[in-house]
Amino acid sequence: MFSAVLDLLYILLTVAFFGLMLAYVRGCQRLGREETGEDRP
Amino acid sequence: MTANGWVQILVFAVAVLAITKPAGLYILRVYDGSMRWLAPVERAIYRVCGIDPDEDQHWTRYAAGLLLFSAVSMLITYVALRLQNHLPLNPFARGPVPDRQAFETAASFTTNTNWQSYVGETTMSYFSQMTQLAFHNFASAAVGVGAAVALARGIARRSGGRIGNFWTDLVRGTLYLFLPGSFILALLFVQQGTIQNFAHYVTAHTVEGVQQVLAMGPVASQSAIKQLGTNGGGFFNANAAHPFESPTPWTNFLSMFAIFVIPAGLTYTFGRMVKNQKHGWALWAAMFVLFAAGVTTAYWAEARGNPIHIARGIAAADGNMEGKEVRFGIANSALYATVTTDASCGAVNSLHDSFTPIGGLVPLVNIQLGELIFGGVGSGLYGMIVMAILTVFIAGLMVGRTPEYLGKKIQSREVRMAMLYVLIFPAYILILTAASAVLPAGLKGLNNAGPHGLSEILYAFSSVTGNNGSAFAGLTGSTYWYNTTLGLGTLFGRFAMMVPMLALAGFMAERKAVAESLGTFPVTTPLFVVLLIGVILIVGALTFFPALSLGPIVEHLLMNAGRVF
Repeated sequence: MFSAVLDLLYILLTVAFFGLMLAYVRGCQRLGREETGEDRP
Repeated sequence: MTANGWVQILVFAVAVLAITKPAGLYILRVYDGSMRWLAPVERAIYRVCGIDPDEDQHWTRYAAGLLLFSAVSMLITYVALRLQNHLPLNPFARGPVPDRQAFETAASFTTNTNWQSYVGETTMSYFSQMTQLAFHNFASAAVGVGAAVALARGIARRSGGRIGNFWTDLVRGTLYLFLPGSFILALLFVQQGTIQNFAHYVTAHTVEGVQQVLAMGPVASQSAIKQLGTNGGGFFNANAAHPFESPTPWTNFLSMFAIFVIPAGLTYTFGRMVKNQKHGWALWAAMFVLFAAGVTTAYWAEARGNPIHIARGIAAADGNMEGKEVRFGIANSALYATVTTDASCGAVNSLHDSFTPIGGLVPLVNIQLGELIFGGVGSGLYGMIVMAILTVFIAGLMVGRTPEYLGKKIQSREVRMAMLYVLIFPAYILILTAASAVLPAGLKGLNNAGPHGLSEILYAFSSVTGNNGSAFAGLTGSTYWYNTTLGLGTLFGRFAMMVPMLALAGFMAERKAVAESLGTFPVTTPLFVVLLIGVILIVGALTFFPALSLGPIVEHLLMNAGRVF
């Protein structure tokens, strides 16, 4: 029983980490959008 | 230090130089799509998986595919390790891998780290070794090279943020690069005597009259990919020091050579892709200078030996042989330790924990510089490119011009991504090392006191976050604290650095190319190489200098004063 709970926790930790990374992709994209990408003189 | 030792190191260096161009051209053909000899297999994979190989993905889509693939394959491995007692190819009835170790191992192999807190031959079934760990050895390596090529595409072209197709990079890297490469290497290993079987373990009677169980298994095939893919996770606990894995000087040489082949070749591939071959060689030169400095320091420190041993009558000419395989000696141990930590491989043929403090400092610093001295497959190149971008940015600031890199202007968003890449690495290492040095859960796993104990903790977090995977040993990593934090370290060190790097690729792919002008800082000259090395040392080494001062540096001074830990 104890192990099953920990299994679930480790699986949730993995899912949470990759969810965070997907949000991180969005965050990096937003940081890039703050600047238009046009070359400045 | 002996002439024989130097000749062996020189032969290795010449071999790496010689393979750079052919390997680079081969990799170029793999990723530009002109290599077709496995086209039917490739097409079948695309059809079965529903992949459109012609889709040119925006960097966000490329990153999402990479994260999704890694998440799913990591979860499958976690479940397979937990259920290995119910799965086939388990002749020795291995039980389930404990939850904390299954998490750490799944994370570690997914991220090309291969940190192992278990003993391979007594923990893993053949099924786990061959279908899970070996799968990640191939896939994580292909993911890394694909990401580096994606960054090169972003720099080389203007495509509205599109940097290639993650799925085709993954398939082509596996099919054309790692499968044939590891097949050839495995045959060479077998020819030299590395074992490759499914036999039951052999019980031998030693000359001392005791019984010894000799582990068997498909070692050659596992060793080939873990070297070529800079994974490093050994079939045996003794890794490349084990005579069944590395039985001859040739296998030792091939093991080291295989680690550097793809990372060195990628510098040439990059030069070709961005149409500036001299810049590719400039990156190679910076890597080589750092490699040469590392191996020279490690060889000197180990050949000099431990003054306390010498004072007790051990011949000074023997150097420090503690923790080294007698067959390989000091030169090959120092060279292997340097190569495996320059690249993010982590395979070992000697015990880094038993090196002298300065000898042990070399692998530690190699990792802390960011695993970019040739580096891991793919990750070494993109780490070096990030440093090159910071170098031209700093050089641009010095002369008051908008910095350019290979015809693309470097502005705030590129530098933000480069800084995210650079800062995440030391943040995780230093915060978790500090926490482990004070929390009871962290101290519980420590077997050595004083500065050596701190070095062991620092090495562990540096190794996992750098996706290296070698261990300083002396630290009982098989606890809930270490398994969980080290497992998370592998994930942050891989993906939290890869995402800003892919963003950087996408941002550069949005920029139009500008013609080189008088104000452009040249990236092909010796001055650029010197500046690049300077930036790497300032960013990498100085970040860790306070921690290193409290660890191996003070330990070296205390050793000279007659105290060991």
